[in-house]
Amino acid sequence: MSSAAKKDMPAVAPRTSAATAAARDPDSDESLLIAIGNHQDRTAFNALFTRFSNKIYAMGMKLTRNDQLSHDLVQEAMLTVWQKAPLYDLDRGTAQSWIFTLTRNRCFDILRKMKRQPATVSADDIWPQEGDGDSQLVHEEVGTMEVEVTKIESFYGDLPAAQRAVIEQIYIHDRTHEEAAAVLDIPLGTLKSRLRLGVGKLRQMVGAEQ
Amino acid sequence: MITEAKYHPTAEQLGGFARGTVTAGMNVVISAHVELCKECRGRTISLEAEAAAEMLQSVPETRPQSKDFSGIIDSIVKQPQLQTDEQASDPVTEIHMLEHSVSLPKVLAKVASEGLVWKKLAGGINQASVTLDDQTQCEFLYMKPGSQVPVHKHQGSEVTLVLDGSFSDESGHYKQSDFVVRTASDMHQPASEEGCLCFAVLDSPLTFTKGLARLLNPFIRYRFRRATAAASH
Repeated sequence: MSSAAKKDMPAVAPRTSAATAAARDPDSDESLLIAIGNHQDRTAFNALFTRFSNKIYAMGMKLTRNDQLSHDLVQEAMLTVWQKAPLYDLDRGTAQSWIFTLTRNRCFDILRKMKRQPATVSADDIWPQEGDGDSQLVHEEVGTMEVEVTKIESFYGDLPAAQRAVIEQIYIHDRTHEEAAAVLDIPLGTLKSRLRLGVGKLRQMVGAEQ
Repeated sequence: MITEAKYHPTAEQLGGFARGTVTAGMNVVISAHVELCKECRGRTISLEAEAAAEMLQSVPETRPQSKDFSGIIDSIVKQPQLQTDEQASDPVTEIHMLEHSVSLPKVLAKVASEGLVWKKLAGGINQASVTLDDQTQCEFLYMKPGSQVPVHKHQGSEVTLVLDGSFSDESGHYKQSDFVVRTASDMHQPASEEGCLCFAVLDSPLTFTKGLARLLNPFIRYRFRRATAAASH
């Protein structure tokens, strides 16, 4: 049972390190994104805009060969970066990868609109953002965990530090997701995915014990 | 619940999906496979990182001429931020096929939510076409138990994703979540013993082989070539 449980755990470890390590540098793209998502930091957004607007414009020119569309793309992609910054997940990849996927998706929608292609599917249908649906599961399941408090405490120390830190903020210090993300200086999206993984592992440990 | 896929998109197809450079039809069928296949989900994330490095590399002198960006920044930061992805609302995810229902990958559920019109073809095949772009033909195909598709071949490539049941041809036996790629040189004759629901994308125009419709062929080819030329830039 426990080996099957292990097999189901997402293998995020190799990617985790790159973005998480980069986030320790206050000048990294990742740190800027965290400041934008957690504190609506306009200076950070200005800096990120300066770093990426020309790159996004160049990507737009590659994909659309059209100056106006490429300008629109810069505007729409950077708007999405601002709006979705809280959802960025350090454990899924670097800030550059994340900004690329947002830009690719906006570009897909812009091109379809321009070519008047059927609006049956949008970029968000084709490349869904993972994680959010799963984080709702955590909410549903927390109630059933309370029964096993003493057991959970004994397993708690076996969790990876990053997941333990998140669970500590939510369940011991009783903070909201937003507060906990700000305290730990990680994006809300990362907090949710670590919470989901940590709670999932605890449940598996408890389940294997019984 | 989901069997592990034995057949996957080619490296080129998955790369195009990650970069966003393939047709909408091809994006949709690859997206549906990726949802069902953990291996390809992992590969997609790596390919996205590669594409990001390539597409967002610094290009020193492609500066946009007009630099009215400060105004843009001001208007952007007035917008509220999202705390959850509102996209999470689920459309219908099931499709009813005669006696049983099949749950669909999200993107195909979205495609099917517009409503499907089924047509009966020869050999116990039912077909529901959907239009996703002007470069591909996309369709749900339902093969009744014991049915057989007539021998055919086509220009370009044909991709078939198995959603339920299974089918076989000369090269193999394909089950749920398998992604079957056939190119122009392959002649094949798929058959299904137990019945099969698929989503197929034909990355080329139909070639008519009979009657007056043949007159259309040069036009279709011309349009197709222009479209693919534009996409490959």
